[in-house]
Amino acid sequence: MNTSRKIMLGFLFIILGMGIANPAFAAGATVSGKVSFEGAAPSREKIKMAADPVCLGAHKDPVLSEDLVVNNGALQNVVVYMKDGLSGKTFPAPTTPVVIDQAGCQYHPHVFGIQVGQPLEIRNSDATLHNINAQPKLNKRFNIAQPTKGMKTTKTFDKVEIPVPFKCNVHPWMAAHAVVLDHPFFGVTGENGSFTLNGLPAGTYTVEAWHEKLGTQTAQVTVADGETKTVNFSFKAK
Amino acid sequence: MCLSSSIRWVIGLGIVGFLGSPTPAFSDADLAAGKDAYEANCARCHGPTGAGDGPDAKRMFPKPRKLAEGIFKFRTTASGTPPTDEDLFRTLSTGLPGSRMPDFQRLSEETRRNLIAYVKSLSPIFKDQAPEPIDLGKDPGPKEASLAKGKEVYAQLGCASCHGTAGRGNGPSAPTLVDSWGSPIRAANLTQGWNYRAGSGVKEIVARMMAGIDGTPMPSYADALSSKEDAWHLAYYVHSLQETPHWNRTIEAVKAAGSLPADPEDPKWQEAPRTDLRLSSTVYQQGEIQPTSVNAIGVQAVYNEDAVLFRLTWQDPNESREDPPDAVRLFLLQDRRLKFQVGSLRSWPAGPDAPALDVCSWSAKQDSAREAEQMLESNDSEITSGAASSSRSQDSYADGVWTLLIKRPLKSFHPGGVTLSTKKPFLFGAVVFDGGNGERDRRRANSNWVDLVLK
Ligand code: HEC
Ligand code: HEC
Ligand SMILES: [Cu+2]
Repeated sequence: MNTSRKIMLGFLFIILGMGIANPAFAAGATVSGKVSFEGAAPSREKIKMAADPVCLGAHKDPVLSEDLVVNNGALQNVVVYMKDGLSGKTFPAPTTPVVIDQAGCQYHPHVFGIQVGQPLEIRNSDATLHNINAQPKLNKRFNIAQPTKGMKTTKTFDKVEIPVPFKCNVHPWMAAHAVVLDHPFFGVTGENGSFTLNGLPAGTYTVEAWHEKLGTQTAQVTVADGETKTVNFSFKAK
Repeated sequence: MCLSSSIRWVIGLGIVGFLGSPTPAFSDADLAAGKDAYEANCARCHGPTGAGDGPDAKRMFPKPRKLAEGIFKFRTTASGTPPTDEDLFRTLSTGLPGSRMPDFQRLSEETRRNLIAYVKSLSPIFKDQAPEPIDLGKDPGPKEASLAKGKEVYAQLGCASCHGTAGRGNGPSAPTLVDSWGSPIRAANLTQGWNYRAGSGVKEIVARMMAGIDGTPMPSYADALSSKEDAWHLAYYVHSLQETPHWNRTIEAVKAAGSLPADPEDPKWQEAPRTDLRLSSTVYQQGEIQPTSVNAIGVQAVYNEDAVLFRLTWQDPNESREDPPDAVRLFLLQDRRLKFQVGSLRSWPAGPDAPALDVCSWSAKQDSAREAEQMLESNDSEITSGAASSSRSQDSYADGVWTLLIKRPLKSFHPGGVTLSTKKPFLFGAVVFDGGNGERDRRRANSNWVDLVLK
């Protein structure tokens, strides 16, 4: 391919990408599916919050660990995203931030996807100190204190990285994970284990599902414009 | 202001020169010289490529830094950004007390600068990111600083969650802290200024707090403070928590006028000089050092015709009464020359034929009398207990501090033991066990032998 054609193509993809980011332009393909957990679901541990009365006081019921959540066979907190198939295309970072809130001494959400360059707004809704200790390997690390309720800090990531772990050292049970991607095609499974990636350019993709304890799985899929295809994943206890 | 750029440049140079800290552009020659100096002085701990895997590395806690990884604790820069050359220069010039990182004053300033160039070439972070120096604000001076305000800020910012209300490293989150390399780490004991890694001065405290200590749980508060003034009030407050240690090689027992003090808070103790002893350990498991937690013990002593009474005080982040309990043992040697026969307390007993030592032993175990015992001990498994002369003790634990009285008759219960007198100095040694840290047997913190003199 000669250079001018490459530039032309790149230009086209930018236009396409912009079209996707614009909801009025709801064309494209869709990949959706379900993530399930095979076998008996392990029971979730009760978190001991006794070290901080503010945390303890924020909950009436016992708080359960979030690192492996299975509901009737559906696996929650899996990030599903396009791993391959978008190279050469660029997608401008949304200016709307992803918000991660520290409330009741837990991170909300517990896992999330975010685009390179997209603002991440970190909030503290608790009247106690949290430190947000992010230890990525490729992106810039940070460990910052949020001692007061209502405090907000904005950070961005400038490299693709899976995952970026977050923890709070004051409350050792607090952990969150970000999947940083250079495109907007990602989703996180909820209680029913399902995900939908829409507005995709037609093409052949590698879809990856990432879980903090169970690792990753991939699948291949080819979609045409306007088409919807189903991709399911199934994880086993490690 | 109307300065020509060249004048400004000259003034700039003048200031830099005045601070004695020029930051020259590092040439290739510097790097080569730095590499040689690194191999000669640093590689045995930090490893030849900066992987933290030198031959001595496992025997240290904290471990020598993996310089190639690019995580630096002691900076004046934003969290996650590399240190400035001056930060590194400071580390090399003053060392990191409380760790095995020595100071390199013996190397010329030029060599230290070359070393910095080489250290920076070991990790890509120096290419990928520029240091982002933090504006530390202005020192208001001790007269303007408000300790009351500082104390308020200390509470507001949650320093106590890790460092504890009194700064003794015993906050509610302290037992669970882990560093970025997965090793347990202690929140610094803020009352021990002598044990701060990177300086116990007010300015250094402001820097630590604003920049955080990367690779450890200690976060940056640069964006969390409502004003820079608050940082300085807080730093003056933290500085005021530091207690001056009385390092000494002699314990002077003073003669009691009348009866021996009845409890640790008796005003009579004010007349007994205090000696602080550094404690250390060298116990390894699979070649890795097993860190102990108590790093010093304060000793005072008074005596009368019958007995000597020791007042001991030491900092331990948690009170452990059971399995294993916190414990202390005091060792006495009849004669100074025995020191060479017995060897260091760290390695005692050296073997099955180690000489029997005279020991006063106390443990926090909550049994009926909670007594101290005098005994003759020949090695860990054989104990000859002198039950007849066990002595009453009083102890208390409050906010990270143990205070304890141990009374020992001047005369030994056993002819093989030590009978104390005013005639000559005796040798004294102490070992401390932090039960909460799993310390028992050889895993303990040991003092050196010091003189005990009955005045
Ligand atoms: C006897 C072992 C030893 C030697 C020799 C030694 N270091 Fe270190 N060094 C350490 C230890 C241990 C640490 C970690 C201290 C800590 O984490 O608190 C350290 C940390 C450092 C750090 C990190 C400071 C920071 O801000 O995090 C630098 C830089 C460093 N050393 C450079 C050097 C250089 C350069 C030399 C040779 C001139 C050298 N060291 C020699 C043991 C050593
Ligand atoms: C999440 C726990 C945590 C919090 C909160 C915290 N620290 Fe620390 N701090 C630490 C740890 C851990 C160390 C020891 C680091 C090491 O040994 O390398 C430390 C070390 C220090 C040191 C010693 C620096 C040196 O040179 O050795 C100072 C001073 C300090 N902290 C002050 C503060 C102040 C002031 C606050 C509140 C504004 C605070 N810390 C909040 C965990 C914490
Ligand atoms: Cu927290």
